[in-house]
Amino acid sequence: MLRMIQHAGRWFFHRADALFNQVFGDRLNPLYYLGAITYWLLWVVVATGLYLYIFFRTGIEEAYSSVEYLTVQQWWLGGVMRSVHRYASDALVLAMLLHLTRHFVFDNYRSFRWFSWITGVMLIWLTYASGINGYMLPWDKLAQFVVIATAEWFDWLPAFGGTLIRNFIAEGAVNDRLWSLLSFIHIGLPLALLAVLWIHTQRVAGAHTVPPWPIAIGTTVALIALALVRPVTSQGGPADLSAAITTIDLDWFYLPAYALLYRWSPAELWWLIGGGTLLFLAAPWLPPRRRSTAGFHVLVHPDNRIIPVREGEHLLEAALREGMPVPFECRNGGCGMCKGTLLYGSVDYGLYQDSALPAEERATGKLLLCCATPLTDLEIEYVPTGMPGNVPVRVFTARVAKMARLAHDVMQLTLKVQGDQVPSFYAGQYINIFLPDGEKRSFSFATAPHQRDHIELQIRLVPGGRFTTRVFNEMKEGDTLQFEGPLGSFFLREDSSKPIIFVAGATGFAPVKSMVEHAFYTGMKRRMYLYWGARRLHDLYLADLPRQWAREHDNFVFVPVLSEPAPEDRWGGRTGLVHQAILADFPDLSEHQIYACGSVAMVETAHPAFVAHGMSEHDCFSDAFKLAPQLRAKSAEMVRLGGAP
Amino acid sequence: MNAPARYFVQGLLYAAFVAAVGYFSSAPAYQHLKPDQALVRLSFSHGAQRKQPCRERTPEELAKLAPNMRAPTVCPRERAAVTVELEMDGKLLYRIIAPPSGLAKDGASTVYRRLAVEAGRHDFRARLSDNARGEFNYSAQRTVEVATGRVLLIDFNAAQGGFVFR
Repeated sequence: MLRMIQHAGRWFFHRADALFNQVFGDRLNPLYYLGAITYWLLWVVVATGLYLYIFFRTGIEEAYSSVEYLTVQQWWLGGVMRSVHRYASDALVLAMLLHLTRHFVFDNYRSFRWFSWITGVMLIWLTYASGINGYMLPWDKLAQFVVIATAEWFDWLPAFGGTLIRNFIAEGAVNDRLWSLLSFIHIGLPLALLAVLWIHTQRVAGAHTVPPWPIAIGTTVALIALALVRPVTSQGGPADLSAAITTIDLDWFYLPAYALLYRWSPAELWWLIGGGTLLFLAAPWLPPRRRSTAGFHVLVHPDNRIIPVREGEHLLEAALREGMPVPFECRNGGCGMCKGTLLYGSVDYGLYQDSALPAEERATGKLLLCCATPLTDLEIEYVPTGMPGNVPVRVFTARVAKMARLAHDVMQLTLKVQGDQVPSFYAGQYINIFLPDGEKRSFSFATAPHQRDHIELQIRLVPGGRFTTRVFNEMKEGDTLQFEGPLGSFFLREDSSKPIIFVAGATGFAPVKSMVEHAFYTGMKRRMYLYWGARRLHDLYLADLPRQWAREHDNFVFVPVLSEPAPEDRWGGRTGLVHQAILADFPDLSEHQIYACGSVAMVETAHPAFVAHGMSEHDCFSDAFKLAPQLRAKSAEMVRLGGAP
Repeated sequence: MNAPARYFVQGLLYAAFVAAVGYFSSAPAYQHLKPDQALVRLSFSHGAQRKQPCRERTPEELAKLAPNMRAPTVCPRERAAVTVELEMDGKLLYRIIAPPSGLAKDGASTVYRRLAVEAGRHDFRARLSDNARGEFNYSAQRTVEVATGRVLLIDFNAAQGGFVFR
C-alpha cells in the first residue's frame, strides 16, 4: 500500500517537475526548492511580523484597535504587511507540506535521514503552534473562535480538566495580560521554530536555505499582489464572549483541525493528532524496509578520494558531506548540473528527467549524482566547481623547460606555463596532464605555491605506462603539455599547532617537498618530521635535499628508511617498513598531524597501525587512507599521489 | 516554448499559487453554529462537600499522636462528586457526575459543556448535588429568551446562592 502511494507520488512529482521545467527552466523550477522556499517564506513572515509588532498593543481594546489601525488607516503599508504576514504563513504551510510529501514519496526519510525527518515533524508542530497562536492576537471573532476552540480542545487533557475554558467563559474573565502572554508566545515559538529549522538543515550537506533569487522575488511579489487584491481584514468586529460564533471564514491551512473538533470530540481529535504524530515519528523505522546494505565506497576523481556512501544515500549527498566541490543545483534530477561519469561499478540511476540525462549520454557512462545510489563499490568522475579556497580549476598549456633524471626511474620535469601564469594552488595539490586521447594522468606539484616561475613534477617510470614511458623515451625539452588544475584536497593544513609527521613513499616525496618548502617559506615553526621510505638507497632520489633542510632548520627532522637495502648500499640507517619506524619513535600519535603520500599498500598497512597508536582521523591526511579493500587494483593504483602510470 | 510565453505561463502559475493561498486562507466559510441556533454553556468549578464530616478525636487517638500533631478534630479530605442536571423545556439536556480533582480527590469538580440549542424562549431548570447522599441541594429555574447567535452562560457559585444565568 505504502509503496503504491509512493509510486503514485513519484509519478506525480516527476510529471509536475517536467511541466515546470518547461515553464521555469530546470534551474528555477520551484518544485526543486520547496524546502528553501519554506525557509524564505519564514523570513518573510518574521520580517512582516516585526513590523506589525511595532504597532501592536497588548490589551483587550488595544489589540483589536491597533490591528484595525494597521489594516484600515495604514493599509498602504501596515495593511499590506498584515496581509503578507498571513498569506506568507499560509504559503509556508503549503510549501512545507509539499516538501514533506516529496521526501516521503521519494523514500528520503529512512536510514540516516531519520534525524531530518524527526526534526521536520517537530517543525510541523511548531509551525502550527505559531500560526494558531498568531490568530489569537487580533482579538476579532476569528480570534475568539480560535481561543475558545483551543481551550475546549486542551481542556480534554487531564492536566487542565475543564479549567482552561474558565479563562474565556465571559466578559471580564479576560484581562490585558493575556496579550502579553500571547505576544510572548508568538515570539518564543517562532524563535524555537528557527532554532529547530537550523538543526534540521545543518545535517543536510549543501542544503539550500535560500531559493534562487528569481523564485524568492517571484514568490514575494506574488504575495504582495495577493495582499493588494485581497487584503486581510479582521472578522466580525472585536471579540464578544457573550455572542456565539456562527459562521467564520476559516484559514484551512492552519485551522482544519478546529473544524474537525466540532464534528468529532476533543478526545477523537487528540487521538488523531497524537496518533498521526507518533506514526510520523516512527515512519523511518516502519516497514516496508528497503534492502539493507552496509553502504559502499566510491573512488572519486579528480579528487582521487575514496568516500563512504551510506545506505540509500545519493552520490551527491555523500560527496557534499565529504566536502567535495561537486556542482549541483536542483538536487532532483532536473538540471543535470551534477552529471558525472561512472567508471566502474553499478548504480541505481534513480528517477530523473530525460532532458537532464538523455539515454545516449547514460549509455556512455554518464549519471546524475543527485539521483544515483550505488549498488556496488564505484569509481566515478566529475568536474569540480572549484578547489579549496575557491581556487578555480582551469586548463593550462605548458612547455617542458627542463628534464633531469633524479634516479634511474625518476624524471624531474620543469614546466613553464604559457603566459607565465602558474596556477595558484595549495601545497600538496596536483594536476592532471591530458593525454592525446583525453585521458589524464595525475602528478603532484613538487614546487611550493610561492614559486611562481615554474612547476616541478617528479615522474616515476612505470613499465608499460603510456605517459611515463613517453616521458622517458620520447619527450624532449620544448615539448608542450596540457593540464588541468589545481586539484585535490590533500594539502597542508596551517590552522593547527600540532607537530607534523610526513610519511613519503617513493615519489610520494613530491607533494611533501611542496608542503615543506611552503612551511619554511611562511616561517612555520611547527616541528616537522619527514619519514621517507624506499626499497633501495637509489630510490631516495633527492635525499640530499631533506638532509639540507634538517641542517638549516631546527624544527625539521629527516628519517630515511629502507625496506630492502642491498649490501652495496652500505646502509647504516633505519630499515624496515616506514610506518614501523614512525611507531617506534612515536608510540603515542594523538598529538600529531600525519600527512601520508605513497603506495596504497603502504597507507593501507600504516593506517590501522597509526589509529591503534592514538592517531585521530581528523589529523590524518591522505586520500589513500580511506581506501576500501574492495576496490579493484587498477583504481587503487590511481590514487597514488605523486605519480601514476 | 518561447521566452514571452514562458514568462506569461510563469506568471499564471504564480497567480494560481497565490490564488490557492488566498482562497483557502479564508474560504470556504465554516459554519460553527446553525443560523437559528444559540449556545448554552454550562461551566463551573465547585468544591463539593466532604464525603465524611469532621469528627473529634478520642483521647486515645490523641495520645498516639506526637504532641505537636494533636489537633482535636480530624477532617477526611475526600470530597463528593458533583452531579448536575440541566433540563430545557422539561427535557433533560445534559447530566454529568463530575468527580473531584486531585490525587486525594479533595479538589474542585469542574464541568464544562457547550450545547447548541434552538434560539428562542426556553424554560431552563438546573439542579446540582454536591454531597455524598446524592441529594440535589441546589436548584434553579429560569425562563430565558436566547437570541440567535447569543450565548447563555449557566455558571454556579455557591457563595452567590447557586446557579447564575447570564
